[in-house]
Amino acid sequence: MIQPRPKGQIAVSVGVLVLGMLVLAGGWDLSTGGGYAQVGPGVMPRIVGTVLLLLGAMLLREALTGGFHGVDEEAEVRIPMDWKAFAWITAGIFLYGFLVERAGFIIASTLLFAAVARSFASRRWLSNLLVGLALGAFIFAVFNYGLGLNLPAGVLGPVLP
Amino acid sequence: MDIWPQLLDGFTIALTLQNLMWALVGVTLGTAVGVLPGVGPAVTVALLLPITTKVDASGALIMFAGVYYGAMYGGSTTSILLNTPGESATIITALEGNQMARKGRAGPALATSAIGSFIAGTIATIGLTFLSPVVVELGLKFGPPEYFALMIVAFTTVSSVLGDSSLRGITSLFLGLAIGLVGIDNQTGQARFALGVPQLLDGIEVVTIAVGLFAVGETMYFASKMNQVQEKLEAISGSIWMKAEDWKRSWKPWIRGTLIGFPFGSIPAGGAEIPTFLSYAIEKKLAKNPEEFGHGAIEGVAGPEAANNASSTGAMVPLLTLGLPTSATAAIMLSAFQQYGLQPGPLLFETNSALVWGLIASFYVGNVMLLVLNLPMVGLWVKLLAIPKPQLYAGILVFATMGVYGMRQSPFDVFLLYAIGVAGFLMRRFGFPTAPVVVGMILGPLAEEQMRRALAISQGSPAIFVTHPISAGLLAVAVAVVLAPWLWRRFGPGSRPA
Repeated sequence: MIQPRPKGQIAVSVGVLVLGMLVLAGGWDLSTGGGYAQVGPGVMPRIVGTVLLLLGAMLLREALTGGFHGVDEEAEVRIPMDWKAFAWITAGIFLYGFLVERAGFIIASTLLFAAVARSFASRRWLSNLLVGLALGAFIFAVFNYGLGLNLPAGVLGPVLP
Repeated sequence: MDIWPQLLDGFTIALTLQNLMWALVGVTLGTAVGVLPGVGPAVTVALLLPITTKVDASGALIMFAGVYYGAMYGGSTTSILLNTPGESATIITALEGNQMARKGRAGPALATSAIGSFIAGTIATIGLTFLSPVVVELGLKFGPPEYFALMIVAFTTVSSVLGDSSLRGITSLFLGLAIGLVGIDNQTGQARFALGVPQLLDGIEVVTIAVGLFAVGETMYFASKMNQVQEKLEAISGSIWMKAEDWKRSWKPWIRGTLIGFPFGSIPAGGAEIPTFLSYAIEKKLAKNPEEFGHGAIEGVAGPEAANNASSTGAMVPLLTLGLPTSATAAIMLSAFQQYGLQPGPLLFETNSALVWGLIASFYVGNVMLLVLNLPMVGLWVKLLAIPKPQLYAGILVFATMGVYGMRQSPFDVFLLYAIGVAGFLMRRFGFPTAPVVVGMILGPLAEEQMRRALAISQGSPAIFVTHPISAGLLAVAVAVVLAPWLWRRFGPGSRPA
């Protein structure tokens, strides 16, 4: 029995429509003419935006009439979405973005490692933190001492060679 | 063009100690990421892109190419032992090879795929050697309208062939084209879609897109949807060598697979899945005992693996001779060329002939290295499969964020990476192929440039695309590729009445 209204697919189709509108709106001020080619920087955005609108409409039609072709939405819905796992990865990457320049690359990488491992249901916090620390320190050493790049040392700066 | 002296020159470059080392690093890394689930050649090459500032062009490109075809070898190991295809092109190998492994014939399965890959890779490289100059001759006659039309063909084949829905494939492609628009228009210098964010003026880096879609998105998907699924790793028991009978049953499928795979790779058709499926179907038809297929027939591993490898080498033909990438990895390699200010295409064979031929020669060398790495040393790679998933994916994300952050030392890119990861997750969840995004974002700006050049020649008249016969023909092919699946569904056998 096919779901009559697969909500996710409808949302994705609407997302494509919105994206098309954004591309059209964002490129509206760019000139379409000029130059020998008579084709300004505004032409491609108009083409891409229009086609995205068209594609979004076609996707929406598929979603509303029995779902996307070749996708077993039933089976997809049957596997429950593990939001906690998703949240752990989100937390890990955001923390990394905030901390990489404040606390430094090694600490940010350690926390990211532990958070992602946790999202895969590993609860061995201590060993994950240690492995993350070792990996972060290894990459830091290779890049900063080996290749002469500058990953931020952060708060560990004073204790690192 | 005289091939032999050029190829010999190429070998003198490929066989320098330094370039041998880059090739070895490349194929070793390639095998490793091919074996590991959750990370593939596209992400790896993307993460390695920054070394283009430190290493000379031939060394870096030899390494990137090594990662690319090395991953094809490694992918089969995972498919056979774990029944999770590491690469989409090894679905068939997973089907038949895993059955062999369950019957205690993992060794011969691994051997036939490694030797088959070697034979296919080598024959395909010979094909590349002799076909490239021919395509170059042709390419030299191409002007902007022909190039534009050719890119349109590549767009349609990449998005319709990859994935099982051409509508979703084309949507992915246009998503990539939209991403490619961000930044300064290289012809007028006007900023497009930068939203006042200075980091967006340079455009969105392909590294961020590739790593976001393929590494972060995949990790999100596996963590939240697939972690419940249990996998069973088959052990390699008994000898890994093939018996006389295995050889007898394998050699013809190797050759046939190569002959199917190479043309599919070398026309800008994209995707190694189709030739592997074709090869499997042909082997099944020709087999004396077709009932064995699905239960571990060695022909069903030998043929598709050869096809897979031959097509990945074949994909180098359009990339090198015309500058047309047909896969995500090839698209990222194209941007590696661009980092050096090089544009692959017919002119590259004249201006940088040593570099191109050195790269081609390195394929011969790399395939020999891969045979050694994947046959006697296969046990080493199997150990990689023992890394527990939580730590494996955690490590992948540490490398992914490091690569994206380290590129410009900008935390902004990390948040952008997250956003693209979410997009990748959604695409995976709703069955949108991700490779067309990468091809679209790299090829989009090039196509726009060719379009505007062509229109400059014709002083704005779009008729130029249809009055030039080659360009008109190519555009007709593109239309056919888009409409074919739709027409097939509607009017072909098994169509349901609307």
